[in-house]
Amino acid sequence: MSDRDSDLLLVEQVRAGDKQAFGLLVEKYRRKIVRLISRMVRDPDDMEDVAQDTFIKAYRALPQFRGEAAFYTWLYRIAVNTAKNHLASRNKALPTVSDQAVNDDDEPDERLVAQEVGTPETELISKQAAMAVNEAVEALPEELRQAIILREMEGLSYEEIAETMNCPIGTVRSRIFRAREAIAAKLRPILDTPEDRRW
Amino acid sequence: MQRSVQHTQQEDDTLSAFIDDELSEDMARTAIKRLAANRPERKRHAEYCAIGDAMRGLPFGQADLTDRVMAALEKEPTVLAPMRRAPDRRPVMWLAAATVAALTWGLWAAAPRHEPPAQVAAAQPGNVQAYLAAHEDYAQAVDTAPDMHYTRVSLTELGK
Repeated sequence: MSDRDSDLLLVEQVRAGDKQAFGLLVEKYRRKIVRLISRMVRDPDDMEDVAQDTFIKAYRALPQFRGEAAFYTWLYRIAVNTAKNHLASRNKALPTVSDQAVNDDDEPDERLVAQEVGTPETELISKQAAMAVNEAVEALPEELRQAIILREMEGLSYEEIAETMNCPIGTVRSRIFRAREAIAAKLRPILDTPEDRRW
Repeated sequence: MQRSVQHTQQEDDTLSAFIDDELSEDMARTAIKRLAANRPERKRHAEYCAIGDAMRGLPFGQADLTDRVMAALEKEPTVLAPMRRAPDRRPVMWLAAATVAALTWGLWAAAPRHEPPAQVAAAQPGNVQAYLAAHEDYAQAVDTAPDMHYTRVSLTELGK
């Protein structure tokens, strides 16, 4: 299954009345959406509000989603329009840099420059989390590290990783899972959330 | 106990493979339903997503964004618009191809072969003459084809 097929299944599930399935889409794309919005909306508090509005608008518009474009492309356009409307309501112009970087007629541009996004508090959490992940990846046994890097950073499929590492696909699947578990163990203390959360 | 541990391992494997879009459609559907119904599984899903995003240099943002979105959605009416997937055209294509193949074969089988033409019974000159005489009024003035060797005669000649 492709990424697009997997998203379509989630959309199908939401449209069948399962709201929780929408949470999986939010979790999957929220950081990409926040980064996209951060190129237009500079205020960190507004950034998160616009991201939240984007997902709520997407949920409301879901019956109109036909699946002709990828879900993220569709969501990306909603995010751009929500950010533009937000700026218009505050009588603020779209920043010049963002004019070049964001074009709602184009496909999402993944070649983004890393930048500071968010409040000082979220910045700190981002830095701590990134450091914990980097350290955890470095500490992995070689075969797990290679598998997770090929998957997450190079975007290779299990079949391609199996060819690259000269091992069965089942082994790749197991290595990636074990790598994730090892990294998650280091990340949990930083991301730990209260028990009363809804999601 | 051993079996239970193996089961848990397999379940975790499945979630990781689901995130990587490496499950079949049926297995992905099962994984989605399980995730939707199981909070610890969703937490693990969120962790896996966060790991991938961190490795790609994405900012973490506020940890509770999903929580806030889901809280806001509680006030929203539930979307009930079952999705109509584009029909899979492959069976139709196969049917069309099979029909064309069957028609082609049928036409080929029914087409005349390049076999020697059946021998035409030798015409009796007398019979031909009588036939032509009987149908003279319907005869048209056409150029005689090279392989037509009949002679046109008139009734007066026949009467002689």
